[in-house]
Amino acid sequence: MAGKSLFQQVNDYAHRANPYPLYAEMRKTPVLGDEDGNYAVSSYRLITELLHDPRLSSDIRARPPDDPKQQAVAQSSISPAFIRTDPPEHDRLRRMLTRQFGPPHTVGMIDNMRGDLEKYVNGLLDRMQDRKQIDIVDDYAYPFPVDVICKLLGIPPEDEKRFHGWAEDIAFSLDPAIGEEGRKLIAKGLVARNELGQYMRALIDVHRKQPGNDMLSRLITDSSADGRLTEEELVSSSVTLLIAGHETTVNLITNGTLTLLRNPDVFERLRHEPDLIIPLVEETLRFEPPVQFNSQRTALADITIDGVTIPKGAPVYLMIAAGNRDPVRFNEPDRFIPDREDNQHLGFGSGIHYCFGAPLARVEVQIALNALARRLINPRLVVDPPPYRQSAVLRGPRHLLVDVDGIKP
Amino acid sequence: MRVLVDLNRCQGYAQCCFLAPESFKLVGEEALMYDSGPDDALKEKIERAAASCPVQAIMVEYMNGHADEMVKSGTSEAEARHGA
Ligand code: HEM
Ligand code: SF4
Repeated sequence: MAGKSLFQQVNDYAHRANPYPLYAEMRKTPVLGDEDGNYAVSSYRLITELLHDPRLSSDIRARPPDDPKQQAVAQSSISPAFIRTDPPEHDRLRRMLTRQFGPPHTVGMIDNMRGDLEKYVNGLLDRMQDRKQIDIVDDYAYPFPVDVICKLLGIPPEDEKRFHGWAEDIAFSLDPAIGEEGRKLIAKGLVARNELGQYMRALIDVHRKQPGNDMLSRLITDSSADGRLTEEELVSSSVTLLIAGHETTVNLITNGTLTLLRNPDVFERLRHEPDLIIPLVEETLRFEPPVQFNSQRTALADITIDGVTIPKGAPVYLMIAAGNRDPVRFNEPDRFIPDREDNQHLGFGSGIHYCFGAPLARVEVQIALNALARRLINPRLVVDPPPYRQSAVLRGPRHLLVDVDGIKP
Repeated sequence: MRVLVDLNRCQGYAQCCFLAPESFKLVGEEALMYDSGPDDALKEKIERAAASCPVQAIMVEYMNGHADEMVKSGTSEAEARHGA
């Protein structure tokens, strides 16, 4: 349709398989407002600047009362999680969660998970050994991070059937509310969040009565200089960890596999050079980031950058996927260079909201892709481009069919 | 092997401490301590840590008998640093 803004086009499902030409067009006007009042920021320099600018809030409550996302938060039965708050509240919550996840309080936990994770992905592949075709999404990239985050938190993995639909609705509701369709997604996300919140509340109750050796139990019983997490904070934090822990990782595994299948020489190189996986995962985070843009920021004041004034209360979208291919920052940005140097990509964000789960996600995806490289015999892409999921923000294939001659033991 | 962290650049994200806890440690909230001459056995872990640093502050240098191979993860000095 003529007259659609670039930002609307990025969100339009028709462009899901390849939004990158739109991002290139967008970078010509690095701060771009449209008729919906949305502002998209797309150059590497301005995105990093704004990710460190306290005038940009992650708290949707900073938006005007008629904003659909603001209304959804107001009606939610659970409080906003730390990903949706600002300092000092954000920092306090993040500190309390980090105590049970990483240094200085919990040292070595993620690194020590490697063996179990390797066992798990190899088990998945063992069970597919007589197959000639696999769906990377349903058979591999989805079940793996779900299992990991469930076991880490202390959620029974078999409950996936119960929370799958909720998780998806919540993930889709991260997209900007554009038009009637957008508002419907927000409304569905609200219902799902309330239901998942109910589920978590019950689970927290069980863990409170009978603490186990899992993160949820430790968060319930822990206390520190910051005090204890309240029931509300426990519910919203665990909902966020569950969603963030798998709805993104599935896309990085799948985007990585797709990119390798499109670059068979790199796939072949990885087979002989497993250490290549370390920079290769970083390059995938740059080249096909699972979070394409931050969709939850709001201007707390009038912000003038590069001669454009973003008015107070306006939604601001930081276009990670556009910044990651900014030719001012990266040489040959549209080329996938598995051992790229100086790869300071924005795939996990930057600043105070830098991805909490990044160390875990890195370990998971390095292991998952290396196992595919080692074990799949003559893998071939069946459909290119593959069908994509609905979400513009959490972009990734819905299915990724791969033909193989077999799977090595 | 030798490890160097540009502590002006380092912003205490602690990503390195997750992936190579033997070599990188946080003291208190965000002061980083690290081993500048780690054992070669830790090579892979240290490479993982260096790649994961969000501000690319970690440099790894290998000395092997023949030629000195310098693997650089950090950005060049000309590269602008963005503020905290
Ligand atoms: C490849 C997988 C992943 C990607 C690409 C990713 C990406 C991101 C990005 C871009 C942000 C910044 C959001 C913002 O600035 O508003 C973020 C934040 C966050 N991520 Fe991840 N993430 C991934 C995996 C995970 C995992 C496995 C977990 C949980 C264990 C997780 C938990 C979080 C949390 C809790 C935040 C909020 C941090 C804060 O607000 O301080 N993520 N992630
Ligand atoms: S990951 Fe980088 S910024 Fe973070 S503590 Fe280590 S060296 Fe510093």
